Amino acid sequence: MVTKVISADHAVAWGVRLGRVEVIPGFPITPQTLIMEQLSEFINDGEFDADFIPGESEHSVMSIAVGASAGGVRTFTATSSQGLALMHEMLYAPPQIRLPIVMVNVNRSLGAASGIWLEHNDSMPERESGWLQVYVEDNQEALDMVIQGFRIAEDERVMMPIMICLDGFVLSHTVEKVEVPEQAEVDRFLPKFKPMNMLDPADPRLINPLVPPEYAMEMRYQLDRAMDDSRIVIKEVDEAYARAFGRGYGGLFDTYQMEDAEFALLSLGTATTTARGVVDELRSKGKKAGLIKMRFMRPFPEKELLEATKDLKALGVFDRSVGFNSFGPVFTEVRGALRPLRLQITDHIAGLGGRDLTLEEMRDIFARIEESLSGRAERDVYWYGLRGRQR
Amino acid sequence: MRVLDSMYEVRFHGRGGQGAVMAAQTLAEAAVLDGYHAQAFPYFGAERRGAPVKAFARIDKGRITLKSQIYHPDMLVLLDDTLPDIEPVAEGLKPEGAAVINTIMAPEEYDLGISVITTTVDATTIALEKLKAPIVNTSILGAMARAQDIVSIDSIVKAIQDKFGEKLGPRAAKMNSEAAREAYQSARTGRCKGDRPIVQKDQWLPDWDQIPIGVSLPTTQVGGVVVGPGSAWQNQVGTWRTSSPHYDIDKCIRCLRCWWSCPEGTIKRQEDDHMKFDYRYCKGCGICAQICPVDAIEMIRGVKTW
Repeated sequence: MVTKVISADHAVAWGVRLGRVEVIPGFPITPQTLIMEQLSEFINDGEFDADFIPGESEHSVMSIAVGASAGGVRTFTATSSQGLALMHEMLYAPPQIRLPIVMVNVNRSLGAASGIWLEHNDSMPERESGWLQVYVEDNQEALDMVIQGFRIAEDERVMMPIMICLDGFVLSHTVEKVEVPEQAEVDRFLPKFKPMNMLDPADPRLINPLVPPEYAMEMRYQLDRAMDDSRIVIKEVDEAYARAFGRGYGGLFDTYQMEDAEFALLSLGTATTTARGVVDELRSKGKKAGLIKMRFMRPFPEKELLEATKDLKALGVFDRSVGFNSFGPVFTEVRGALRPLRLQITDHIAGLGGRDLTLEEMRDIFARIEESLSGRAERDVYWYGLRGRQR
Repeated sequence: MRVLDSMYEVRFHGRGGQGAVMAAQTLAEAAVLDGYHAQAFPYFGAERRGAPVKAFARIDKGRITLKSQIYHPDMLVLLDDTLPDIEPVAEGLKPEGAAVINTIMAPEEYDLGISVITTTVDATTIALEKLKAPIVNTSILGAMARAQDIVSIDSIVKAIQDKFGEKLGPRAAKMNSEAAREAYQSARTGRCKGDRPIVQKDQWLPDWDQIPIGVSLPTTQVGGVVVGPGSAWQNQVGTWRTSSPHYDIDKCIRCLRCWWSCPEGTIKRQEDDHMKFDYRYCKGCGICAQICPVDAIEMIRGVKTW
């Protein structure tokens, strides 16, 4: 093990290298570019034996990834924002073909009102594409999830692609202490990729033909069940990782100070770090605040969340994207899952388009959730840092 | 004309290119002209010229409150009389329903698999005469006007003029109207035979957990069917053709133009550069006959082999 002080993008590149990825199609887009740059350097310096294939667009990149993975090799790519949107069409191929591609999406706002900065409105719309989707909190988790990601995705009970989402700039370009595991340790944890269906001239098979109505619906149900089964594999792999490397992340989600909590925030991405600090503050004042660190949006941990929140009185949900005239996507899903509970649930939207999420705002979020303990929230959705009165 | 007392449903079976979809749409338009509510829609498989296709039409006095395919039609329309050999076309036809069939046979000679009031018409001959192409939909519409008393021949002709005139111009409107009128005159009505069993397709319909995972299939034998790579030989598309190429080896100058022009690869080049035709897979497109510089290939009506 070596300790480095590196960005999340570079941490991801280390995860890819240690995971012995064989094919990496790529196309540059900020704030993901550092991943591809670092991987190119590893390959150029002879430290990492992989084929780097520059595509002419992200659409082509995902097409190359599909071909490579169907060819039976471990495949990785990364993108952001408009790049993910351009992949949209091809994103739907690997889940149903059951190709365990690992992709990092460095979250960045999808225009118009566009910028290069952080928002979750690029990856959230892809929840229904059939990819497993996980959000990470720090650079160490980014590296660890690449390695975990391949083991989850390539498990024969799953055989589906996974999208690892990390916050643009707040993680991608922020350096932190990262423990980089030894190659031998990773080799012990991550077995060689055994493809389920492979393009092989010696054993010809049809892959992804036109599927008539007599079969497509059954195939959708197969994928629905596989997504559900992946919940078990995610927990197993996280536990195995904790045993091997001393770091676990709770699987589908993690909890903090939830044992006796009366009110809590469910957050994802880097907001969780600041929220953890605020929970500590509130606890030091004797307030029973708690935190759920949401990790996987797909599979969605409905049953597990119900169990984790059954004794809560008020729950706030953090959203870094918005459904117009609706709610944030995380709120919509969490409230749907927790319907059986008599629980006051409110939506807290902040940090859109790269707006910095401040400590004061996070304190405000917890204050609003605490207010809702009375059983009467002023409103369902609160925006933070918004100039002008919210109506 | 009779006033409908309940919804009237029509199912068309044809081959890609015969115009079953346009026929259904034209029937719906004619029904609306006669004061009814109507809908018409196609169902395509993997679309190819010559492949079996279905189209549907519903007619009712009031608003139609159903959007699904038709499983128990009041009227069955066959644009090709060979379809019962390969598809269960007669399945679900109401015993008191009617059939309209494009065939040279008289109603009493034709075996549909269920004996119903049947109108037959040689729509292919009419279409070849009037339109110079085997597009039989407008002729079959004329016969349909004879076969039922809900939609009038005048409304059908008006709908043909509207639809075909708008799409293909006044000349096409006129020719197609004439085809419909002639079919209306020459159609014969009687009762068809119901002796043959309705063919059942040997279809592979596994439960969701029995389908191979990953939209991926090796060559697999399932029941009597082969699926996956290398299974296309089973689709003997030669039955789709309405005319067949006749090859005169004495006229042939060995120029090979037919050989490289055949889109299906059914013309086989022999040692001395004369040709052999694989009639199991020839769809009768006629490109070989068109391209032959010495008229050594002639298209002959019907599914023929030499």
